[in-house]
Amino acid sequence: MSPILTALQNVFGDPQVVLIVFLSACFGVFVGSIPGLTATMAVALLVPITYWLDPIAALAAVVSVVACAIFAGDIPNTLLRIPGTPASAAYANDAHNLTRQGKSNLVLGTALICSVGGGIFGAVVLMLLGHQLARVATSFSAVEYFWLYLLGLSCAVVVSSGPKLNGLLALTIGLLISTVGLSAVHSKARFTFGVAELYGGINFIPAMIGLFGISEVLNSLLAARRPALERNREFTAESAETAEKPHNSGASALSAASAVKQEFEDPDRKTSSLLGSGAGMLFRRKGHVLRSASIGSLIGMLPGAGADIAAWVSFAVSKRFSKKPQLYGQESIEGIADATTANNAALAGAWIPALILGIPGDSVTAIVIGVLLMKNITPGPDIFAKQTELVYSIYVIFILANIMLIPVGLAAVKAASRLVRIPKAILLPAIVLFCIVGSYSLNASYIDVTVMLIMGVLGFALERRNVPLAPIVLALILGPMVEERFIQIITGSDGSFTGFLNPQRPLALALASVFVLVWISAVALGTRGQRKSKIKM
Amino acid sequence: MDSEGASETGEISKIKYQKSKLMSPPLAGLFQRASDCVGFHNLAFCILIFALLSGCDRKDSFPNRPIRFICPWGAGGGTDRISRQLAFLLEQELGVPVNVVNATGGGGVTGHSRGARARPDGYTITMVTVEVNMLHWRGLTSISHKDFRPVMMVNQDAAAVFVRTDSQWKTLAELEQTIRENPGKLTASGTAFGGIWHVALAGWLTTIGLQASDVTWIAASGAAPSLQELMAGGLDIVACSLPEAQVLLKADKIRCLGVMADQRLPAYPEISTFKELGVDWQLSTHRGIAVPAGVSESRSLAIENAVGKAAKSKEYLEYMASTGAGAAAMGSEQYLSFLEETDKAFGSVFAGPSFKAFQHRYGPMLFPAVLSGLLAICLGACFVSGSLRSISKRDEISRTAMLDMSILIGCVVLYIVSAETIGFVLSAAVILLVLFRRMRVKSTIAIPATVLLASLVYQLFAVGLRVPLPRGFLGW
Repeated sequence: MSPILTALQNVFGDPQVVLIVFLSACFGVFVGSIPGLTATMAVALLVPITYWLDPIAALAAVVSVVACAIFAGDIPNTLLRIPGTPASAAYANDAHNLTRQGKSNLVLGTALICSVGGGIFGAVVLMLLGHQLARVATSFSAVEYFWLYLLGLSCAVVVSSGPKLNGLLALTIGLLISTVGLSAVHSKARFTFGVAELYGGINFIPAMIGLFGISEVLNSLLAARRPALERNREFTAESAETAEKPHNSGASALSAASAVKQEFEDPDRKTSSLLGSGAGMLFRRKGHVLRSASIGSLIGMLPGAGADIAAWVSFAVSKRFSKKPQLYGQESIEGIADATTANNAALAGAWIPALILGIPGDSVTAIVIGVLLMKNITPGPDIFAKQTELVYSIYVIFILANIMLIPVGLAAVKAASRLVRIPKAILLPAIVLFCIVGSYSLNASYIDVTVMLIMGVLGFALERRNVPLAPIVLALILGPMVEERFIQIITGSDGSFTGFLNPQRPLALALASVFVLVWISAVALGTRGQRKSKIKM
Repeated sequence: MDSEGASETGEISKIKYQKSKLMSPPLAGLFQRASDCVGFHNLAFCILIFALLSGCDRKDSFPNRPIRFICPWGAGGGTDRISRQLAFLLEQELGVPVNVVNATGGGGVTGHSRGARARPDGYTITMVTVEVNMLHWRGLTSISHKDFRPVMMVNQDAAAVFVRTDSQWKTLAELEQTIRENPGKLTASGTAFGGIWHVALAGWLTTIGLQASDVTWIAASGAAPSLQELMAGGLDIVACSLPEAQVLLKADKIRCLGVMADQRLPAYPEISTFKELGVDWQLSTHRGIAVPAGVSESRSLAIENAVGKAAKSKEYLEYMASTGAGAAAMGSEQYLSFLEETDKAFGSVFAGPSFKAFQHRYGPMLFPAVLSGLLAICLGACFVSGSLRSISKRDEISRTAMLDMSILIGCVVLYIVSAETIGFVLSAAVILLVLFRRMRVKSTIAIPATVLLASLVYQLFAVGLRVPLPRGFLGW
């Protein structure tokens, strides 16, 4: 029998496996939709249980938790503007602004269908090209990573709304904040003021919850105290004038509540519309979705890059090819579709180096390697030859988990949408509590809660000055990695800058030139945009 | 439900109530205003309900509530996996949940400090790693093994030296020859500067009469990225433990030139030790369970018995064998003397001349300095272009809105300050009541909402997802 058939039989023939996929999907969606609880944490909670399962069931549990958790991050992101996972932060503003216009169904439907599409695409890529792609992954050394990280950071600036200069400012602030704590390279304390708890640095998850969640609550409080007349005027003005408007979440939660209320009370626009809008989006944008999924798989495959960078890069590429680039970072449903496709496609990609080289691409695949070893399966180049059925089973599980995500995700979206129907006076205190618990639960640390609060106030202040917040999150994640590579290169080349543009590393040169191109085009478009707006004025 | 808990909280609220009557007028006025703000009756009512809901089981036996298991390293890493495996087995031995907390960061400083400074009641145990013997010598923390009461060592892995299979070096002697002929030309990695694997490599070099700086150490955040870099051709040598390199080694992508142990490892009988190769240098990393120094003899013994059973169980040994890690169960006394010995050894390494090699040329402030320059340029450009102007006048913050925001910030600060003493449920209830009050929610809605939310969140996180939420004097 061919290995694919055996794999199908392994997965579908065993009711236990299907049941585990379903339960893990529910668990993944649940954990992923709570800000502060990460996919890694969900998988880590599963590890002791996997000991009692047979290998395929154990892998099924891990795969479905992760596949579902990343999508679930979009739920609080859309409804409350609190990204559930860092991969969602790229389009936090877009998703939430659309919710304020009563389009939360469209956003979540699109996110769900595109996540599933991206996930399945990623699994197919893994199946067809895994072995060949692994070779590309091994050729990435410090220089290539350095340029890739810079490219990711640039994308965050390029996609941000408002002046690019403000995006760059946000990025620099984020990078500087990321240097707090012991440096990974030197193990020397920086900007810690003697507080040992700060040695660990500023964790990006509480920072993200604060930057988006708490600042949004502050915005809502501000809006609530504004005279009602003005509030109305602003809301109508907002829906009328959509393009290139500086982000201002003034009337956010209130209007979101009323808008979603309307949407859900309308009986014709229920489940079918949610799925329909998503599927419609997927088929209308076949080419774009394919492009985003490829970007996702490629970036996800590189150890240490992962779903977060994939979402940003895909968002930026999507903007570049879009007919409505001015909407990106404001309320672009196309951007959301492309970014969610990419971050789910990246998930399967991360398994390539893990399975073939035993090098974990992220903390989830690190756990996976542990589970595999525990089951006496050694990852390695010969895993395709020796464990063909197991490898194919993983692909089948990936596809099954993504299909399972449709009903489970739909149920979660339905349940979560009720959140927004809760009156604001009750919702806001509850959000504050969840922000606190979410940031505390990551490390059981009060420093994290403090970070969350400070970042919340900072985010509120920055947004009032028209500075986008998303680049700060990516900078916090990539900052330490960029620094590590920077110091590595400069040590390796003995202090000369030729190490960054080593002619023996053509891939690094290519990435560096893309980086330069991104900035040239950003500056060119930026100045043209400015000129246009000046003429308008 | 135990009646003790309920009466305790009832009494507290009574006392508070009497206090408000006895206090001097201005103070009482303040208290009155404060309690108005929260809705004091509401709070008392909520406390009563919580006491009824939570259920306080106060037995004297140890352990009778969940144990917090601090892992100083991130989820998914080697230490984390061993911790979770042990936690799972310990749960069965002790009969209470054992929750792993990843207190990561600072190269182990965060987790070790938190483990050492925890309440010495036996309910916090720590997975102590070799860094406990290193960090204090480097002045990064005052915490050392003296702040812990060692319970049991559970793992020991020796350092080893790896090169690519397609490299020119087939033996350790050949590698040594190349380093002698081209000092400073070869690059190596495995961990950060002054980390355990850096000490391992530097120790080997000094033992054979070379300088530690004769191999350029390129700092990396761990073994996995170093191995990736080795594969990509960015490095010549990697020093790390065998389990970390197991997969690439078995795939014949890398070659192990020797392991820094006194005997061949049972999982890798084909790899010769440094001793056999004529180099008198050994170094290994160790992991073990410890409790804070003040924990009583009886409780420490109870934990030691449980850990002992877990660490000798079939499941644990199988798990360790499958990952190729050395399962070393070492009792508390032996473990203590081992820690003392290792500590002395590291003391001489860090005091010696080779430590100078760990001082890095491209210092920790280089990157922040570059960034500060960029920030200054950015800010300047922003001011010149005026892109930082406030959005509009309409958006000015009114006084009431300012007060709203201050109250919200105050609530979060309250949690940070008081949650550890009064527990999660009460601090959450106070925050919710204050904010509900401020949002003008009727108390008929506010009270049920508070009770429901606070206890639901507690059940969800602390019971369902095993997140150790703060436990106050009431135990919830």
